[in-house]
Amino acid sequence: MKLDFRPWVIPVVLVVIWEIIVRLEVISASLFPSPLTIVETGWNLLVNGDLMTHIGVSLWRALTGMLIGGVIGFVLGVLNGLSKKSYIYLDTTIQMIRNIPHLALIPLVIVWIGIGEDAKIFLVALGVLFPIYVNTFHGIRNVDPNLVEMGRMYNLKGWSLFKDVLLPGALPSIFVGLRYALGVMWLTLIIAETIPTNEGLGYLATNAREFMQTDVIILSIIIYALLGKLADLIAQFGENRALKWNASYTK
Amino acid sequence: MKPEAIQIDIKNLKKSFGPKEILHDISISFDKGEFIAIIGKSGSGKSTLLRLVASLEEITAGELLFDGVPATKSEANVKMMYQDSRLLPWKKVIDNVGLGLTGDWKAKAEEALNKVGLLPLKDEWPSTLSGGQKQRVALARALIHEPSLLMLDEPLSALDALTRIEMQNLIENIWEKNNFTALLVTHDVGEAVRLADRIILIEDGQIAYDEEVNAPRPRKLTNPALIELEEKILNRLMHGEEEPLQVSETNQGNSLKAVLSN
Repeated sequence: MKLDFRPWVIPVVLVVIWEIIVRLEVISASLFPSPLTIVETGWNLLVNGDLMTHIGVSLWRALTGMLIGGVIGFVLGVLNGLSKKSYIYLDTTIQMIRNIPHLALIPLVIVWIGIGEDAKIFLVALGVLFPIYVNTFHGIRNVDPNLVEMGRMYNLKGWSLFKDVLLPGALPSIFVGLRYALGVMWLTLIIAETIPTNEGLGYLATNAREFMQTDVIILSIIIYALLGKLADLIAQFGENRALKWNASYTK
Repeated sequence: MKPEAIQIDIKNLKKSFGPKEILHDISISFDKGEFIAIIGKSGSGKSTLLRLVASLEEITAGELLFDGVPATKSEANVKMMYQDSRLLPWKKVIDNVGLGLTGDWKAKAEEALNKVGLLPLKDEWPSTLSGGQKQRVALARALIHEPSLLMLDEPLSALDALTRIEMQNLIENIWEKNNFTALLVTHDVGEAVRLADRIILIEDGQIAYDEEVNAPRPRKLTNPALIELEEKILNRLMHGEEEPLQVSETNQGNSLKAVLSN
């Protein structure tokens, strides 16, 4: 695969301009540390091991929440997509909960669950559940009924019908949900990590604020951005692999 | 065991969707191994009849028998080819052909693909195939099950003229070599005359016309008797019963034998 540098032109140019402005002392270096200072700070934190610990903790929270919320959302989506009865009983309730901004639950979550890991994982799981649910549900519902009829005529039923027709047909939509959920996952995590804690990228940023370490604050924001991009790249890779039959996914 | 073609008996069959009756009291029998073409204008109920025989719709009243057994209880292997090929786009050609089979089916699927002349394309995605190729794959997918009844729901109507002729030859060829009853729904009278042993015309939910075609196979499109028959049926289709043509007075079973020769 040939690497394409074009998407990175704008970020690189912006960083260079930023560095120049700080060097020219147009703006205060203590409020806007230069990119090089941030790299240096990052390097120091990396060398003493702090950075990896914090990233590791944050990743653990993000992925655990994603896994729990994703599985619940997927199962509910499949269930309601396949069964009219299940849809009638469950969908209204799910839609009501979905319309509560999950971050508004933070005070309640702190009171009920506390400020430990559980609370953060719970919030992430709750946040990612709905985009996965909605897209899985619509994916299953929108599978071409003609293909389902054909499948039945060719002896597919139950699990084989699901595996060969319904799931692959719903997959493009499920991936849209997954990529959207990844965005929600990071967003939720950033907010959730401002709940008092002493580990994680959110802690790194909150703690730095106390000491006016703008370089550390910006560093943690950049790491969030990079992790977000990385997660999206992985999802995209999975999408391209799984949907290579679909002409609109092959380049 | 070699699959056996089935006999189909339809007795006083009715089909309604809500208050609207689409098929009124249809009674007709199709012999084992017969190639029947059902023609009619759109909305005449011809596709509904096909879907009823395929058990894709429920019968409102009447009986549908396969070899004397009610279709719902029959073990008969019924397969269908649709107007759109309905290949699964996420499965390679060979996996589409082997759909619904268990055990070691690869060799059988390759054989079926070979019969329709598409073995070299077995590892392609369906999206890379032409319309005619897709229908060939759909035909292979049906053949691999060795059906006793093959239903063809306007399978060639979306193809260009040349591909259509090729496919007609292929279908005729395969039908001659295998033992199955074939039920073709088409709005192309020429196609019906070219392929069928017997042509049924459905009009307003009733059998308006039932005629045997006795021309020897392979049939030539230039056969004057076939051209005459085609014109006659087209006339009947377009102008209804007022036309001074010899058509059946009663709705069923009154087949006019067209004496045809090459």
